[in-house]
Amino acid sequence: MYKLIKNDDVIKMVLRIESNTFIPFALDNTDYQNFKKEVLAGAELQDVDGNVMTDVAEYVRTLP
Amino acid sequence: MAYTKYSLTPANNTATPPDGAPEGMLPSAVNDTMRDMMAQIRDCGDGIRDGTYTMTAPKITGGTITGVTYTSIVITGGSITGITDLAVADGGTGASTAANARTNLSAAASGANSDITSLTGLTTPLSQAQGGTGTTTGYYGFKNRIINGAMVIDQRNAGASVTPASGSYTLDRWQTVQTVASKFSVQQNAGSVTPPAGFKNYLGITSLSAYTVGSSELFNFLQNIEGYNIADLGWGTANAKTVTLSFQVYSSLTGTFGGAFNNGGSRSYPFTYSIPVANTWTSISITVVGDTSGTWGSTNSNGIQIWFSLGCGSSQSGTAGAWSGSNFVSATGATSVVGTNGATFYITGVQLEVGSTATSFDYRPYGTELNLCKRYFENWGAGHALPLPQNYGTTTDRMPGIQWEVQKRGTPSITFSSSTLNFLGQQTGGGSITVTAISSAAPTIWGDDYWQISHSTVTSGLNRYVVDTGQYVWISAEL
Repeated sequence: MYKLIKNDDVIKMVLRIESNTFIPFALDNTDYQNFKKEVLAGAELQDVDGNVMTDVAEYVRTLP
Repeated sequence: MAYTKYSLTPANNTATPPDGAPEGMLPSAVNDTMRDMMAQIRDCGDGIRDGTYTMTAPKITGGTITGVTYTSIVITGGSITGITDLAVADGGTGASTAANARTNLSAAASGANSDITSLTGLTTPLSQAQGGTGTTTGYYGFKNRIINGAMVIDQRNAGASVTPASGSYTLDRWQTVQTVASKFSVQQNAGSVTPPAGFKNYLGITSLSAYTVGSSELFNFLQNIEGYNIADLGWGTANAKTVTLSFQVYSSLTGTFGGAFNNGGSRSYPFTYSIPVANTWTSISITVVGDTSGTWGSTNSNGIQIWFSLGCGSSQSGTAGAWSGSNFVSATGATSVVGTNGATFYITGVQLEVGSTATSFDYRPYGTELNLCKRYFENWGAGHALPLPQNYGTTTDRMPGIQWEVQKRGTPSITFSSSTLNFLGQQTGGGSITVTAISSAAPTIWGDDYWQISHSTVTSGLNRYVVDTGQYVWISAEL
């Protein structure tokens, strides 16, 4: 389960809730690569307010 | 040499006088023949004395001979002294002393000597016991491309047993990947057996059930070697170098075990090795001719993955000893560790080096090994100092200028042991404060811009901020 994190009004990382891990949107980060695979495979993704996102695939396509 | 006109058979010396003495020769010819014989005897003697005769097969058994030319001599005893030094061209040394002889022959003295000033053209490398490297591929720093091959560093678990989730790391740099959870545990020095000579630690795996592995399932542990650390191998090119993987292994099981070299999905080289005796450390060496095909990472991404199988299905396993375009992580027919409840599999001394020979383990200093690990993972445990927040008097604050101890391979993830991480904050006027929330802001390979925190009210400013007992911060840039 993941949640988008906003810092300085910019969303540039995601929180893996189970482990309390902050994952930056960085292509050289293995956790970030796994995050995209997992949410595309059905893992839950919440927006910055904690609402479950329904258009995950569309959102992931906007990511680096 | 007119004496040769005489025959060695007396009856044959019948030539006309004075060259012979035929039957019925005239008496007046007798003295002529005798005079001729006297002259031949004198001529023969003078020839021997003056060396004007060439003796074709003389045999000398004693005495002294000077001034005689021989074409073949058999010497059966005695000694030769006082002669002029035989030249090198004549099969001699051209010298009368050993030192001069070695000089003339360009030969070095045997035993301890200082004659040898350089060695070239060796076809066999000097062994390590002889003071050499045991390899023809050169000896240099970072011989072993595996990090934490001696299983000394365990930042995450400090020797505790874990049942790892797939993809998680156990001992530093060693990752587990499995398709079904909770089938094995991992612990540094599990079972407390005596490590092999020269080692203090090992990675110990214990099977937690008797699981029948499905055809597409896999249970592995592996090390992902960063591309920068194998770029010189030239894999994926015509100049790919041969490497040798060596390690020490100990298992409650015997048989043929498997593993694979892999580039992360499109090239693999399954291998097998044998453990013939249970519960005994066995040295394994596997030489692999470098892959001339495929794409192998050469920067900060994955370079080579070294997979060890604990049980893999048929579709995850390939023919041992050959490069494949498939993503194999083990060899066909390898023993399944997870197939036996309570089975153990221990390993240490893992080394990957250039060349076709396994040399002694490259045991690096602890501090060096730890810092190598920290390029991929840091554990900030209890007592680790942190920057003081910027605004003491508020309950929402920023902890600025976070710096990692070692520059990271890539942009890291930050794990706080709790969202209400209880950092130990000490106020100048006494009393501690409690962090009620914390988050990372913008991590880079060097550090983080700041950590956003919420905390209990600070009334007199802070003079100290450290990670509290039982808490941690993990900075991970693993592959």
